[in-house]
Amino acid sequence: MFAALSPQFRSVDNVRSIVDAAAVLAVVTCGITFVLMMGSIDLSAAGVMGASALTVSLLVANNRNDNDFGFLGIVVAVLLGCAFGSLSGFALVLLKVPSFMATLGVSAIGLGVATLMFAGVQPNISDTMLESWAIERFLGFSYLAWIAAACILVGWLIQRYTRLGRYAFAIGGAEEVLTLSGVKVRPYKVAVFTFAGAFYGLGGVMVTSQLGAGLVQAGNGYDFSAITAAVVGGTLLTGGRGGVLHSAVGVLLVMVLTNGLVQVGVSPYWQGGVEGVIVVAAVAAAVIPQRRRNQVVK
Amino acid sequence: MRIAAILSLSLTAAVLAGCSEQQAGAGDDTAAASGACEASKVRLVGQVRNESNPYEASWLAGGDAFAKSVGLTQERLTYGGDSTKQQEQISQILAGDTKCLVMNVLPNGDSDTAPIVKGADKAGAYLVTQWNKPADLKPADYQTWLSHITYNGVESGQQIGDALAKKIGSGGIIALQGVLDTAAAKDRFTGLQASLKNNPDIKLLDQQAANFSRAEALTVTKTLLAKHGNKVKGIWAANDDMALGALEALQQAGLSGKVAVVGIDAVPDAVTAIQKGDMTATVSSDGAWQGGIGLAIGFCYATGKLKVADTAADNRAFFAKQFLITKENAADFAQPKTDPADFECGNVFNRKAGPLT
Repeated sequence: MFAALSPQFRSVDNVRSIVDAAAVLAVVTCGITFVLMMGSIDLSAAGVMGASALTVSLLVANNRNDNDFGFLGIVVAVLLGCAFGSLSGFALVLLKVPSFMATLGVSAIGLGVATLMFAGVQPNISDTMLESWAIERFLGFSYLAWIAAACILVGWLIQRYTRLGRYAFAIGGAEEVLTLSGVKVRPYKVAVFTFAGAFYGLGGVMVTSQLGAGLVQAGNGYDFSAITAAVVGGTLLTGGRGGVLHSAVGVLLVMVLTNGLVQVGVSPYWQGGVEGVIVVAAVAAAVIPQRRRNQVVK
Repeated sequence: MRIAAILSLSLTAAVLAGCSEQQAGAGDDTAAASGACEASKVRLVGQVRNESNPYEASWLAGGDAFAKSVGLTQERLTYGGDSTKQQEQISQILAGDTKCLVMNVLPNGDSDTAPIVKGADKAGAYLVTQWNKPADLKPADYQTWLSHITYNGVESGQQIGDALAKKIGSGGIIALQGVLDTAAAKDRFTGLQASLKNNPDIKLLDQQAANFSRAEALTVTKTLLAKHGNKVKGIWAANDDMALGALEALQQAGLSGKVAVVGIDAVPDAVTAIQKGDMTATVSSDGAWQGGIGLAIGFCYATGKLKVADTAADNRAFFAKQFLITKENAADFAQPKTDPADFECGNVFNRKAGPLT
């Protein structure tokens, strides 16, 4: 539809711009998809990304200190994401805090940690490798886009071929049945949150690469965009359905939508509203087949 | 006996009055309102949203610098952009000793100013507010709300628009707007439109909201560059964060240095970018000065060096001077710093650029 309305929308440049812009959201959505499949929800992305963005920008070459750990800094930031993820997971299974509150809390902790590290001066990165992720291109797409593609592939393989992925599905579908058949679900729940945390950590690193600086607000809005993208792609909030590939399609749809509205020239005063209407309509269309079978909507 | 009875009665009365007016505590503060505080007894409080952005961090640093110059320390309060939290902090401060209290406050939004002003007025605390207030709420109607300081967004929007026009001469530009329902975003964009009227060779190709955010500006700029291609000669951003996001987008599109970028706020990174020639101009409200001046004004009134009755009406609410930063003067703004002379009681209103109407 957008392609018909705007010739620039069809251009190669614009396809690149959509894919590049979708990279971070794709990685975050990949992580959140596993949590959603399990029937839980995860609102920790914003905080975890902020903390990991600050961590990575302070560990690689930057203008605040003399650190220059390069790739190791990136690994540490991703591990920090894992740590936050497992914190959510443990809060859920040991303290029985509903995932909604547990992850919201972890998000606040992440933002707090990030603010402490920020300390009033924005760290700008000068690490050539991390900067090149956003600028250098391979086969027309930025490295970030390829990283996102790799994440989707890894996510899909895990979902398809490992016990973790299959159990995540099963937990979302029928946790009681799984427990009755003797499976210990709690370690898997923690593992899924940890795994999702790693993706948010990487997302934070990628935002830092894009912006060239560590921002506390690096993950601002990604939590809800990722949930939206996953749901638009057909992953159900009640769990047990959907998957990484569904979500990847959802991410592209959402990005095409935001990009298309700008390309077509919808006034910025209208865009927010128009976007919301289209998302609700798209999800409604996607769940029509389910509505007949399952009358309950919550 | 009788004396004791009267004494205890009056004591009870005093306690009762104290209870019913705990927040107010106005009765015995007439002395403070006339400014009889000793300099060492003054309590200085600076309140901003958070310390996680360079501008507000420099604000608090400026407050510290002033406090140090008069041998006091500033109490630093941050409320994380949360209106409720701001009101709670204010009422906690006002519940304590308010006799020689001086507050320099950045209200979260226009509607947050009224309760702060009323609380401070009741408690007899000296208050200076900055940036946000509803138009019909005026310091002149209050005793201890000394002044409201803000900046003319139309002027800054126009200044950077003109600087952009001067740099590129002619051609197309794109505009990145702030949060659309804020006065700052509206005024600054009005300024750009005024600038466009004066520079007919500049054409506004597109305008999009990027909500004052660096990350959103990056995405929006990329999209707009894909849409308009090399017709884009300049980018007007309603704040520096968005300008910096636009710079990243230009770098990723391989257009570094080919498109001029302007912003507002003079955050340190933007000033560095101007020094390096990546950015063309920004406008500074001088955050460090803002942090110091509110406390300085309050201090001068609290110690009786200035008197409310003698203060000119247009000193009670005014637009402060702002500075256009270009490559020529960027070095002077590279580090936020304060000039003690600005904070002397005779000079506190020197940066008035015009009355706020």
